[in-house]
Amino acid sequence: MRFVDEYRDPELARSLAAEIRSLVTPGEVVRVMEICGGHTHAIYRHGLEELLPPEVELVHGPGCPVCVIPMGRVDDALAIAETEGVTLATFGDMLRVPGGRGSLLEANARGADVRMVYSPLDALELARREPERHVCFFAIGFETTAPATAVTLLRARAAGLPNFSVFCNHVLIEPPLRAILETPGVRIDAFVGPGHVSSVIGTDAYRFIPEEYGRPIVVAAFEPVDLLQSIAMLLRQRLEGRCEVENQYTRVVRREGNTRALAAIAETMEPREDFEWRGLGLLPRSALRIRDELASLDAEHLFTLPGARIEDPKACRCGEVLTGQIKPWECSVFGTACTPERPLGTCMVSSEGACAAFFSYGRLTLPPEARVGA
Amino acid sequence: MILEPERCITCGDVAVAARVREVDGLEAVIAVGDLTERVAIELVPEARAGDLLLCHAGIALERVEEHAA
Repeated sequence: MRFVDEYRDPELARSLAAEIRSLVTPGEVVRVMEICGGHTHAIYRHGLEELLPPEVELVHGPGCPVCVIPMGRVDDALAIAETEGVTLATFGDMLRVPGGRGSLLEANARGADVRMVYSPLDALELARREPERHVCFFAIGFETTAPATAVTLLRARAAGLPNFSVFCNHVLIEPPLRAILETPGVRIDAFVGPGHVSSVIGTDAYRFIPEEYGRPIVVAAFEPVDLLQSIAMLLRQRLEGRCEVENQYTRVVRREGNTRALAAIAETMEPREDFEWRGLGLLPRSALRIRDELASLDAEHLFTLPGARIEDPKACRCGEVLTGQIKPWECSVFGTACTPERPLGTCMVSSEGACAAFFSYGRLTLPPEARVGA
Repeated sequence: MILEPERCITCGDVAVAARVREVDGLEAVIAVGDLTERVAIELVPEARAGDLLLCHAGIALERVEEHAA
């Protein structure tokens, strides 16, 4: 399959792995955080850690939107779903995320009308087809998904549909990266940047990482060859004493991003004062709310929401996994009380969550730590 | 939306490249293999039949430059 096969070429992958081995200094571990959950999934799925020398340690980042949603926001969505005459539509994985009062799937079993959609536009279409019901789209996602919500809001405004709203939980990639870089005791030496978020925001959006924090970043695509090439690019930067934003995903990502997408987001949404992140707490200006001009489409204006802050289960260490402080298998409930079938923490819900990805693909192999010095 | 198997549809960073079969106003019919789907193209209005588009959550996010590395 074109645009896939060439980026999964085993020979090319082996030659990049050899290049990576030639770029490390024996015994000097470089901690590379892949920000995006899609990258985490690809790393485990293709067994890329097995190709890397022990000097390259991959640390999984916070870029899985399902994983960073706090339980209180799930409870807010439950409150909307349980309102008479309301249909709550959202992406599939969001249905299984446990809130303080259970998941949306469980609410559905109790009689709430919760439906899975693939796009916010599908939710808008539901509202058109079922004018007797109010359809609310539970929006989550980083800057990759926010444009779809923005386009949907603009279409809803143009259509003047009275029975559609959005419960907006879109988050931004820069604030959690700053929070991780400023967390005491967290050492990240380099970053693999998210490819599709970057198709929207552009590579210039990451200049603060080298300029303010002195770490290199390479924006990468999602196939094995892409990821290995990006790691080699990061190591070469270190070897040559460079520290900059580089773009491995040139077939899609531009410096300025997609300016039309950014304009659509800006027209419909604006940064919130703060937003709670799982594992990171309240981060200022880290999420988007719907602009007041579109209040008639904003579920937070239309519904009374509990708005509670709910602590994560004590046994769950999702926060430390999301900030790269521990590996999935270091959490005591990993694979026992917390499994993809019955997730306790959000990192086990989405297939892009570090715990679920490791559970599915990585646990049959030794963790990298075990390979060091072996 | 057409997605690779085993990928999380909710993830903010999953998108697929798909070929445009035809453009119909603000929407394009895209194909991956034998499957077709309609996506909104407000953000990539220059999309034409034959283009490869990066699609996510029902919209086209960007054109894929096929000559690039």
